[in-house]
Amino acid sequence: MTNIIDVKNISYSYGKTEALKNISCKIEAGDFVGLVGPNGGGKTTFAKILLGLLPFDYGNITIADQEITTFNNFQKIGYLPQKHTGINPIFPACVEEVVLLGLLSNKKYQKKIKGADWQKVEDILENLGIKNLKGKMLSELSGGQQQKVLLARALISNPKILILDEPSTALDPNSREQFFTILKDLNNQKKTTIILITHDTGYIGKYANKLLYIDRKLVFFGKIKDFCPSGEVESCFEKSDKHIIWHQHN
Amino acid sequence: MIDIIQILQYSFIQKAFISGSFVAITCSSLGLFLVLRKMSLIGDGLSHVSFGAIALGLFFGLYPLYVAIPVVILSSILILKISEKARIYGDAAIGIVSAVGIASGIILASVSRGFNVDLFSYLFGNILAISNNEAILSIILSLIVLLVIYFFYWDLFSATFDEEYAKTTGIKTNFINTLLTILTAITVVLSIKIVGIMLVSALLILPAVTALQISKKFKTTLFLGGIISLISVILGITVSYILDLPPGATIVMLNAIFFALALTYKKITKN
Amino acid sequence: MKKILFSVIIIIVVVLGGYLLLNIAPNSDNDSQKISIVTTLFPQYDFAKIIGGDKVNVTLLLPPGVEAHAYEPKPSDINKISNAKIFVYTGEFMEPWAHDIIQSIDKKVKVIDASIGIEMIKEEGDEHEHEHEHEHEEEHHHHSGVDPHMWLDFDNSKIMAENITKALVEVDPQNAKYYQNNFNAYQDKITQLDNKYKNTLSTCKSKTIIYGGHYAFGYMAKRYNLEYVSAQGFSPDAEPTAKDMIALVEQIKKDNISYIFYEELSSPKIAETLANETNTKLLLLHGAHNLTKQDYENNSSFISLMQENLKNISIGLNCQ
Repeated sequence: MTNIIDVKNISYSYGKTEALKNISCKIEAGDFVGLVGPNGGGKTTFAKILLGLLPFDYGNITIADQEITTFNNFQKIGYLPQKHTGINPIFPACVEEVVLLGLLSNKKYQKKIKGADWQKVEDILENLGIKNLKGKMLSELSGGQQQKVLLARALISNPKILILDEPSTALDPNSREQFFTILKDLNNQKKTTIILITHDTGYIGKYANKLLYIDRKLVFFGKIKDFCPSGEVESCFEKSDKHIIWHQHN
Repeated sequence: MIDIIQILQYSFIQKAFISGSFVAITCSSLGLFLVLRKMSLIGDGLSHVSFGAIALGLFFGLYPLYVAIPVVILSSILILKISEKARIYGDAAIGIVSAVGIASGIILASVSRGFNVDLFSYLFGNILAISNNEAILSIILSLIVLLVIYFFYWDLFSATFDEEYAKTTGIKTNFINTLLTILTAITVVLSIKIVGIMLVSALLILPAVTALQISKKFKTTLFLGGIISLISVILGITVSYILDLPPGATIVMLNAIFFALALTYKKITKN
Repeated sequence: MKKILFSVIIIIVVVLGGYLLLNIAPNSDNDSQKISIVTTLFPQYDFAKIIGGDKVNVTLLLPPGVEAHAYEPKPSDINKISNAKIFVYTGEFMEPWAHDIIQSIDKKVKVIDASIGIEMIKEEGDEHEHEHEHEHEEEHHHHSGVDPHMWLDFDNSKIMAENITKALVEVDPQNAKYYQNNFNAYQDKITQLDNKYKNTLSTCKSKTIIYGGHYAFGYMAKRYNLEYVSAQGFSPDAEPTAKDMIALVEQIKKDNISYIFYEELSSPKIAETLANETNTKLLLLHGAHNLTKQDYENNSSFISLMQENLKNISIGLNCQ
């Protein structure tokens, strides 16, 4: 199995805060990685570094055989940001337009959008079962629907890697179930590498095959089975680190 | 009613309609991006900076507009940088730069012991007093701005909608933000000279906000804003002639009426 | 360490700044012998200088280049007025803010309303001139209906000068003769100017002044029986309507007018538009509210400005 993401000794500080220290991991294509850790421990920071949104002070990262500093295959990465970022309620954007934004990574100037592109939008909406929402304004949708739209945006370019930042925190149990099932299918059928940041340690145990546990430094990276032989991932967390705040899912 | 067609024989009326229309579409289009980025007051803010810039130009004995344009461009970039670094919203950054602009103008005017023309006069614009050069300028400016918006449409949309996400799709958001800022600066300075600050401020904000009330798609909003501003200018000049009112103010009032109508429409259709 | 260094630098700057400010602040006038007069507009400034001669020190509140109608006094202006012996303002219609200042300053300051004794012209229903004032940051003189530009009728200029003379005589009776003599001499000069105007303007082929500025020359037009049409009302902030502009264009064409006049200091855009539309030329008609920097350098006086005006009117109206 090839390493699709190779992280070597990444460190990052801002101001006096040492956000990440000496993180290394090799993520293989097709991995479903649960990125966990305490609040403020650097999970989102790490993800943002992978996405090129933040710089780093030391170390090296290779994504899909490209050095991150010269990385330009943005269509290979899909991103679903944390819920509170992004959506301005008065912003006049309909679902179709928002999802199409995910295709821009494929395009060179003048970034013309053709009929085939709109068809791709329809297709991905259909795949996620939200084709009926095509013309609706994003801010009119429920939390669960919005997440699906943003997932569609992340997936439309057929990315090899999907990075999701706490995608299920605001979802009700049904929606959450649906959501994770979609992700698992993606992982199984298309071998999409998934890195999912979550507090929800219970769910992670069910779906992910690997665990990346960061608390400023690397606490653990590897198969979940190795971290938690019993499979009861929640209980493993309780034992390993008392600082973790994990969410009681209802 | 034949009257109205007759007034078109006057070149200053023709220029009012033509330049007014071009300026309207330019301002309303840029305005949509500005409003969504909480930068609605940049028109006012940059007019204050122009005041200081013109004082600076006169102080050094240079043609004021040649000084005003680069200074306003730099100030608008400064506004951008302040709102990024100081982590405040655009409107506060605008307030800072704008206040400094006016204060500089006042100090310069005082230190230089006077000028030959009233400072504010350099910025004086009136839709009925557009010169031939200004008319041509308004068309060229419009075409440039609209072309840029057309060329970078999706990048502008993505960066305005969700800047962080846009970066992850390879969009150079710094470039896009700077581009938008510079376009705004140039448009504001030149448009103020052509139609006056009152109209520019209004056209930057009102048509966009009106379109926002009734549109669900971004593309529609952009077009609708343009159409609304265009109608407000054409209808505004016509109505101002019939009722013998100053045209600039009439156009602004029409925009306000359109906004009220859109708001009402939204309320009605909500049920 | 950085923080300490920063704080030290700030303290040094503040101390240095304070020292500099205290030392380069302009010293109070050493000519304490002279009578200090503060005036609002240029005409009374000029009159006061001429009548007072070397016995007075006159200050004009308006800095050069600043447009008079939009002017609002700064705290330093109020200070200047308080410290003056005599304060001359144009009248309540030109400076509505004067009233409040007068209430607040020392009773020792002799306040002169230069318009006392002058009959002000009320607004006529002139179809070309409208009062469309829109909000700026400043206050406008809202006593709409009265034309404040009285100094452009030379009889009124004499009355203004006389009011100033009376004030000087009251404040400094020892030199009464000096002031009287200066006033008399000046009065003669104005009479000469008036006669020149009368003679020249009686020969004009055209009798209409088209003004692409605000309505400032009502008094002058009335005095010499000229028709005077302006694009704007009493204040330069007013915006003309389309009908206003069209009416002016039509009149220019109908009366075969070859020259359009523009005003000092304000943007000449409206005059230029009219000229462009009718293929006519532009000439300056200086309202003498305030001087430009250039005027100062040329040592312009009220009379010199009016002489220039006469020259331009002669060209514009085709006079002898």
